[in-house]
Amino acid sequence: MSDDAELLQRIRAGATDEFAELVRRHQAQVFGILHRYERDAQRVEDLAQETFLKAWRALAQFDGRAPFEHWISRIAVHTALDHLRKEKRRISAVGLPDLGDDALDWLRSGDEKSELDARSAAEVLAQAMQRLSPNDRVILTLQELEGRSVKEIAATLGVTGITVRVRAVRARARLKHALERLEKT
Amino acid sequence: MNDNKLNRLFAAARKHPAPVPAPDFAADVLRAVRREPAVAAGEPLAIFDQLNRLFPRLALAAAALIVVSLATDYGLTATDWPDLGAGVAQVSSQLLFNPEEL
Repeated sequence: MSDDAELLQRIRAGATDEFAELVRRHQAQVFGILHRYERDAQRVEDLAQETFLKAWRALAQFDGRAPFEHWISRIAVHTALDHLRKEKRRISAVGLPDLGDDALDWLRSGDEKSELDARSAAEVLAQAMQRLSPNDRVILTLQELEGRSVKEIAATLGVTGITVRVRAVRARARLKHALERLEKT
Repeated sequence: MNDNKLNRLFAAARKHPAPVPAPDFAADVLRAVRREPAVAAGEPLAIFDQLNRLFPRLALAAAALIVVSLATDYGLTATDWPDLGAGVAQVSSQLLFNPEEL
């Protein structure tokens, strides 16, 4: 199997169908990024399609200096950021849905050892993060859920490492505050 | 909410699996690519295509400029500053068409 560089060369030479192979290679990575920002599977698929379409339109700008997976992941994060900005406006108009009982019990529990299942944890985080700005949400997601380094986040968002550190600390404080407010609902 | 509890929340959420792409996802993307305007990968965009893509931002910038201009005009009028029209008339009378100098 050829690597991405060869595949991209063939696509640029006019082999449009080969783009499907590029999509197959990177779709799991793109879905993995986007599902951190959107819980509805159908919307994740729509955002993934939007990500690959943006990549197609901008393929001329990909110079190949960094691996394609880095480039596509940056496009996915920016697609998610645009999505969060639109969602923020929609949510401020319609309000948030209620949390499930398991999630609420865990939030209110003082037991330091009680565990929460992955689905409920994602639900709690999604609820709390919807009270944050899209920029705070992206920084926290990249750092805490995807485990990316400060340098990687800075490169993805086009800011300095210091900015990332400062924003991450503030975003974490705001998230704690949002979780405390959720506890009291 | 202490740091320990927050870290456990992140750790649990990290395990939440991503949805699996549908088997025909790549084919769907390819169909969408074919529906795109005839801009092949690697081909530079025409100036009108570029302007078209910038349209929402250009429209917002134009709207912001209009608002700022109106606010400035209103502010200057409210503070009795000479408006732009008066300034032009003054300049033209002083420098260009001063009948007394003719």
